[in-house]
Amino acid sequence: MSETPGPEYRRIAVFGGVYNNALALEAMLADARRRDVEAVFCLGDMGGFGPHPDRVFPLLREGGVLAIQGNYDESVSAGKADCGCGYTDPRDNHFARISYEYTFTRTSSDNRAWLGALPRHRRVRLGPHRVLMCHGSPRVINEFLWESTTPDGLLRRFLGEQAAEVLLCTHTGIKWHRPLPGDGHAVNVGVIGRPENDGSTNVWYTVLTAEPDLRVEFVPVHYDFDTLARQIEQEGLPPEFAETVRTGWWTTCLENLPTRERARGKF
Amino acid sequence: MTPVPRVGLPVLERMPAGVPLAPFVRLTTLWIQITGTWCNLECVHCINASGPRDPWLAPLDGDTIRRAIGEAEALGVKDIYFTGGEPFLHPEILPLLASALEVAPTSVLTNGTRINARIADALAKLAVDAPYSLEIRVSLDDVDPDLNDRVRGRRAWARAVRAIRLLDARGLLPIVTATEIVSAESPDDTRMYDRFRDFLRSLGLEKPRVKIMPVFPVGRLAGRSTERLAEDDLAGFDRGTLQCAETRVVAAGGVYACPILAGLPGARLSTGDLAASFRPAPLYHPACVTCHRTGMSCRNY
Repeated sequence: MSETPGPEYRRIAVFGGVYNNALALEAMLADARRRDVEAVFCLGDMGGFGPHPDRVFPLLREGGVLAIQGNYDESVSAGKADCGCGYTDPRDNHFARISYEYTFTRTSSDNRAWLGALPRHRRVRLGPHRVLMCHGSPRVINEFLWESTTPDGLLRRFLGEQAAEVLLCTHTGIKWHRPLPGDGHAVNVGVIGRPENDGSTNVWYTVLTAEPDLRVEFVPVHYDFDTLARQIEQEGLPPEFAETVRTGWWTTCLENLPTRERARGKF
Repeated sequence: MTPVPRVGLPVLERMPAGVPLAPFVRLTTLWIQITGTWCNLECVHCINASGPRDPWLAPLDGDTIRRAIGEAEALGVKDIYFTGGEPFLHPEILPLLASALEVAPTSVLTNGTRINARIADALAKLAVDAPYSLEIRVSLDDVDPDLNDRVRGRRAWARAVRAIRLLDARGLLPIVTATEIVSAESPDDTRMYDRFRDFLRSLGLEKPRVKIMPVFPVGRLAGRSTERLAEDDLAGFDRGTLQCAETRVVAAGGVYACPILAGLPGARLSTGDLAASFRPAPLYHPACVTCHRTGMSCRNY
């Protein structure tokens, strides 16, 4: 695929998976401003897991965030019956259904329309690097690209097909960066909606800089997680969600974790 | 139904008129039918009627497998699975797993009976050294030894449970795979999952992993259903979501559309290389009805 490259930047911030976590979003945007980034990008999934879905949209708009659609955004905007998260285990799907029904019924029609108008991909230039942004993978919106299950051969194929040197994705909830032979890079930028199953309560976003070689920095975001956990409980969402926020260990949606990523977690 | 014997070109079977097709979308998953239908167990529900006597589908040699792995890498494969028969009967299983793990995350489906401490140690070393995840799937059809062994044979439960413990003790987090042969519950029903998870926790596993598969009318259960898909059944259905749209299986005799039907002439798409099998797959078998109805995938998740 050969497309006109998008606008050019030197330094950008990229995050994924807001999951209704307005508190982390606010903290992350403030942190990115202090880091002198020229633009802030979101790779989708505004809803899910957390409380008060409509609270994230003013922050995204006022912060000038350039977003793309995730599977959640696609489902919410199109009125689909489920989140399209791609789980196969019934316990995972049970919790996914609770999140989705909660989020869907509390997202305003204006915000649904805003989600529906988001593009599926974005292309930018970061110095000399052609960057492709997607949610899951360039080919499937809810494809899981875990560090331990994404082969180099597949990444090279994605970059070749997309005429890009840098692939940015999210969806799994756990960040990683892999330089590829030549000038290629694949980066899963992580999510700011929930901690990444390492026993820490902070969440993560990514700053990319063209120096002109690509520099990838994962940035921890510390936010008021205790308030978020209380809001989750006040909204009647599952206590498992609040436990994850307070402990940093995933308690739900674990069954599609590959063995290596699963082994690092508590459950 | 005479296949055209031209190596490297697709084999076009004469199908009944009106058989619906699944498109070829991409190669996501490569399955390797490493031991064909050679197995040390003879389960009553086996999808390819594997057993210890005169396997109707021959094992593959190591060179054929290494060639397929190399080809799949160049085609951008995402994951590789080894199945059979019983893969751990193959004399080269460990080096072949190592070769696959150099290319992609790799899973092996086993009945667990051949996994002793030495094999478990070797698998743990492979998993640590490899750039990608190694998944071991151990088949167990019931948490009750008697019920399980009625399906899988004498002492199958004890030997599978030993394998599960050995693997878990080495941090390999086996995925215990059950078929709904004993229970009539549906895959959406969590009771079967819960029963298995509770059982695995009782063995001391802190991270129990379970996959439930439906029963297929194929292999030893062929004839349970003669129902077949027709075009009308698929109206409005996205056939690209079927596993045969992004899966290919290397087995004796060629490349097949699906691991359930590997070895059957009707499912063979090429007698040569992998790329030659990239064409629509006929949804001709009663097992295709089960896939369509349940949305199942033979992949781990």
